[in-house]
Amino acid sequence: MKLLDKVFEQKSRQLAQHSSRRGLLKTLGGRLVGAGAIPLLPVARASAADSPARPAEQGDPASCDYWRYCAIDGFLCSCCGGSENTCPPGTEMSPVTWIGTCRNPADGRNYVISYNDCCGKSSCGACLCQRDEGDRPPYRPDKTNDINWCLGTSSATYHCSTAIVVGVAFEDQ
Amino acid sequence: MKGVLALCLLLPVAAVAEGVNASRAQFNYQMSCQGCHAPDGSGANSVPRMKDQVGMFLNTREGRDYLVRVPGSAVSALGDAELAEVLNWIVAEFAGDSLTVAFEPYTGQEVGLLRQQPLNEVVHYRAQLITEIVSANLGDQKE
Repeated sequence: MKLLDKVFEQKSRQLAQHSSRRGLLKTLGGRLVGAGAIPLLPVARASAADSPARPAEQGDPASCDYWRYCAIDGFLCSCCGGSENTCPPGTEMSPVTWIGTCRNPADGRNYVISYNDCCGKSSCGACLCQRDEGDRPPYRPDKTNDINWCLGTSSATYHCSTAIVVGVAFEDQ
Repeated sequence: MKGVLALCLLLPVAAVAEGVNASRAQFNYQMSCQGCHAPDGSGANSVPRMKDQVGMFLNTREGRDYLVRVPGSAVSALGDAELAEVLNWIVAEFAGDSLTVAFEPYTGQEVGLLRQQPLNEVVHYRAQLITEIVSANLGDQKE
């Protein structure tokens, strides 16, 4: 027992003699300040610039007159267990999609909207919305909403459509 | 330390090719290309991947022309200057290590001429181009 006592005493004295009492504070403080500074670095700002600024919102995403649906033709995922940004459970979002722009009444700016379809279950059937602004005939296939955009998914069965803001429209100054 | 910071600040600018309005180019990419090629150029299923691959085509004249003559470029609704800008932006953003030669940016004039000869059959032509580029590269390595 005495031996154990001695060993522990020696070890604690060694530790006390060789480490600074402020060392922990210094390391911890440095890390706190360091972590706080990361968003200030250009890397973090560059990646933030890629994701579009979250636009000011008004209106009901479960209603066909919601601003992002200006060019939609389909069932609103907001009425089908998903949202304007996400697919309902059990469906898969198509990576291939059609893209248009809509004017946001909240700030008067035009945003780039990606109408990714959700696929893999039979048609949702709720909140059919067809506004078609900017829709072009099928001879302009990248700008038509009349085709089934369930491409690149494991199933080509259409369920509903999202309307995701992916950017701000470029306007000549 | 100051030097490192200054270098970091320069990086985002250096990443975009000269003469490219990145906001306009990205918007045109989003409106005319992104729907199929995906936001990061990774493609999907039968849509060719551009990310970390597109630079390979710039190894040969035919490959460089191909990027303009491919239907997605040639028959797009973009004007010649805008198409050239998007292509330059795509190379700067997506080519990564696949770009192994000095890249001479596309001009509106060059693009305007090339898109008058759009490709009708793309899949076979593309495969043939890649075979030629790969074998030319292997030849370079042997020398």
